[in-house]
Amino acid sequence: MIFNWFKIFIYHLKQNKLFSFLNVLGLSIGIAGVIFAILYWNNENSYDQWNPEKENVYQILNKFGDNAEIWNSSPVPFGLTCKATIPEIESITFYTGWYSEDVIKHKNQKWIGKKIIVADFDFFDSFPFPILKGAKKDILKEKNSVAISDETAKLIFKNEDPIGKIITKDNKPYVVKSVYKNMRPSSVEPEYVFGGLISEEDIKQWGNFSYTLMIKTKKGVNKETVLKKMQHVNFVNRIVKEAKKEGVTPEQFIKENGNIIVIMDQIATARLHGTKSPNGANFPEGRGDLQLLYIMVGLSVLILILSLVNYINLATASAIKRAKEVGVRKIVGASKKQIIAQFIFETAIIVVLAILFALAIVELSLPYYNNFLKKSLTMNGGEFYLQLIFIFGLVIIFAGIFPAIYISNFETLKVLKGNFSRSKSGIWIRNSMLIFQFGIAAFFIIGALIVNSQVSYMMNKDLGFSGDQVIRVPFRYSDQSKKGKKYLTAKQEILKFSGVQNVSTFAGSFGNGSTSSSGLTYNGVFVQPRNIEMDYGFLDMMKIKIVKGRDLSPKYASDTIDNWLVNETLAKKIGLKNPINTVLTSGWGNEKGIMKFKIVGVVKDFHITGLQNEVPPMIFISMKTLKWNNFENVYIKVSPNNLTETLAKLKTYWEKNINPDYPFDYEFVNKGFAKTYEEQVKQKDLFFILNLVVIIIAVFGLFALASFSMERRLKEIAIRKTLGAETDILLKELSKQYVGFCLIGFVIGIIPAYILLQKWLEDFAFRINVSVIPFGIALVSLLVLTLIIVLAKAYQVTKIDILKYLKYE
Amino acid sequence: MITIQNLTKVFRTEEVETSALSGISLEIKKGDFLTIMGPSGCGKSTLLNIIGLLDSADGGSYKLLDQEMIVLKEKGRAIVRKENIGFIFQNFNLIDELSVYDNIELPLLYNNVKASDRKQKIEALAEKLNISHRLKHYPQQLSGGQQQRVAVARALVNDPKIILADEPTGNLDSKNGNEVMELLTDLHAKGATILMVTHSDYDASFSQRTIHMKDGVIFSERLNQRNVDVFMDAK
Repeated sequence: MIFNWFKIFIYHLKQNKLFSFLNVLGLSIGIAGVIFAILYWNNENSYDQWNPEKENVYQILNKFGDNAEIWNSSPVPFGLTCKATIPEIESITFYTGWYSEDVIKHKNQKWIGKKIIVADFDFFDSFPFPILKGAKKDILKEKNSVAISDETAKLIFKNEDPIGKIITKDNKPYVVKSVYKNMRPSSVEPEYVFGGLISEEDIKQWGNFSYTLMIKTKKGVNKETVLKKMQHVNFVNRIVKEAKKEGVTPEQFIKENGNIIVIMDQIATARLHGTKSPNGANFPEGRGDLQLLYIMVGLSVLILILSLVNYINLATASAIKRAKEVGVRKIVGASKKQIIAQFIFETAIIVVLAILFALAIVELSLPYYNNFLKKSLTMNGGEFYLQLIFIFGLVIIFAGIFPAIYISNFETLKVLKGNFSRSKSGIWIRNSMLIFQFGIAAFFIIGALIVNSQVSYMMNKDLGFSGDQVIRVPFRYSDQSKKGKKYLTAKQEILKFSGVQNVSTFAGSFGNGSTSSSGLTYNGVFVQPRNIEMDYGFLDMMKIKIVKGRDLSPKYASDTIDNWLVNETLAKKIGLKNPINTVLTSGWGNEKGIMKFKIVGVVKDFHITGLQNEVPPMIFISMKTLKWNNFENVYIKVSPNNLTETLAKLKTYWEKNINPDYPFDYEFVNKGFAKTYEEQVKQKDLFFILNLVVIIIAVFGLFALASFSMERRLKEIAIRKTLGAETDILLKELSKQYVGFCLIGFVIGIIPAYILLQKWLEDFAFRINVSVIPFGIALVSLLVLTLIIVLAKAYQVTKIDILKYLKYE
Repeated sequence: MITIQNLTKVFRTEEVETSALSGISLEIKKGDFLTIMGPSGCGKSTLLNIIGLLDSADGGSYKLLDQEMIVLKEKGRAIVRKENIGFIFQNFNLIDELSVYDNIELPLLYNNVKASDRKQKIEALAEKLNISHRLKHYPQQLSGGQQQRVAVARALVNDPKIILADEPTGNLDSKNGNEVMELLTDLHAKGATILMVTHSDYDASFSQRTIHMKDGVIFSERLNQRNVDVFMDAK
């Protein structure tokens, strides 16, 4: 029986080579999209799943008042007190929340060590990487211990046993205590874990949010219980004590200074569903882009549905050609079930072909996809194949069952008498599916247009600064206390280079924001401004405007003692009408007590982070005032002429004078800022590609359906022509219904498009408004496309030989 | 074998009711060769379709092998049909996409006959019908007469209790038509039960009995004398 079915299938495949090919192609594009989405989905959802303690390990974050400022760091005494007083906590660890790079030396060789984590306490409890060699417990107990990954061990020690050997970081010696296996994917994938993070001072400072705290609870402990207790530790040790110092009640203190709310993110779900903090990711490996993931999954499912609808439509439309066969089969004894089985069998073969095709498409385009997602996804794993089988089943059910039942219901008598081809059965279903396709196409076109205009808005928005011809050069200098002086010397020397126009610095970077932030209260309003420690002339070089007062200047001695600038947002937040000469109490103190600063100028708001975020409140202070030296880059304005030469000179200078261990590195400020909308540019590109795919599938579907239904009207057309109908009247007659479908589909498509894109735009503090224009463009282009296809086909149909069709039947 | 009593069938559209069969009674015994004749629209095809279980009646009784057929649902009719009835159509109704062999094989497939038995049966039958050399061809490559012989082979391959032929010579020239009629007569001589609908008096003369229908009723029935047409043979 199967053999018989197969013969018929092959016959029809050969008969309709083009349509069959397009049909398989359409389905395989749909399936390929879903495979892409699945690969991405699997990868994002597999983060930290290797971790046997994933249910019990939490990252601690702190939220400051209503400011929505969330940090992934906690003060050391807070962590220690929690560990000491909360019995549910089994162990804690502090680590630098980010990877650092440093020069690693062993004997006479050196490497630029990447993905370095410095930690303290039980790091390997929270991240239990399997220990391959060396100590399994108390690995970081001694301040000079280090654990390295197996890859690193191989790199540095080749075949030697690394345990007990010395490597140096920053010219300090560390003893290799353990070698661990790096598990991937993980929120933290360090190559080195150094001990000795916490100093004596750190233990006392309740206000120092420098390191990330992870806790591991005992098994089966309720998260809420621990959270309450941790919140209580905060209240007793910080709020109550601080309030006492100021002589107010704790409630009053919270009202004025804002509360600090502890958040626990379970590591099992932190990658995708963890707390979103405005400062970026909470883990060194970044956060999962849940939005992009949902967009990918949603759009790929839509495309699959589109291609399924296409398949169903074509299968039912071309079923007319199979009517006689089905009739004969029924006469000679086929039951309905057998007919259904036969047609599902055919769909199954097509789906198998489509899946093979899809796998080929995925295999070929995986490198581009990986590049797009910055991942290295591969097609394997038992889970993936199970999902593939699941898709196979799903596609067969959705694509196969409906046409099969439709065909099996053909009435034998009508079919065999030959007047079946004019039957109207199933037409309304096909038409509503066509409308549905138009809806999806409208959704994609509108979506692409809106995403596109938001991205171009972001690219062209006045950022409040000008990064033209300014490069950012990382300034790595090991001696923090002498860093400022070193910078000033270097500045004088670099300025002598012919291609260098200006040199300045500030503690932050365009796109990523500032490194430091401290809260202050004025008139009972609490704000958490960014601290911008900067060199004189920095604002001027970046063309950042002063709207009131003046810039900081070396001319005024007090500018290095107690003057500062604020930005417009800060002035507005604390309600200053005349900010100039207002004295604010800062969050810092020195030996003379709490420091107060006078506002001498107001800086026009500029975007220091991406356009997703509002401009934060900021204070600007001379780098000579506090001497924190927490700037990490030097900003150099270069002349566009002889740029290569200038860069070569800078490179030589850097490697000779600043840090000989690091290769010279630079980035144009504008390019660096562009990274803040990298995600959106990706989404724009994604939409564009998918749009092409959708339009191709939809156009093909429309063409095929129009062909089938017009060819069934050949007799009608022949009669009309005999009666004197002219070509243009016929064209109108044939195409008007498709224009109607197009319009209805468009109306159906705009509603989800409007709602979903409004939601997408909500993520941006600075965004475009949805206007009528993209909807208009989508409507017109959809109509034009429909008319081209339908009219082309209709024109071909009206050229038929009248006699042939009047004699027929 | 077939007993029909007071069978009625009404076709309804939105406005009009047309009575296609009004009280037909008929008996067909095993080994009969019966012809139904009548003008277009007299109800003869409807009667054949009901007997062939392709259509349902509205009233009366139709017993096939002493089993009441009127009460059967479509599924039940399909089972009875595939086991007992073979069809021959005016337009052959062969599946163009399948070879002659595959076409003849179809009823066996749906009756779950073993592969080795199928081959044997088809080859024996093809031999008998003189189409052995055509088994690998497709219907479109055959003459009309050959196509109808394939259709006959398909109708016979399953050893049906009764063969229903709906104007089997309608699409054939007289020479091919004659061949097909002789084939049917031959089958009848070997004991097959045949019910045929035709317009042609000549074809009807091959059968034992002819029923004339008009406006849904049987108005005459006569036994045929087998005439040998001297002039036809002379051609």
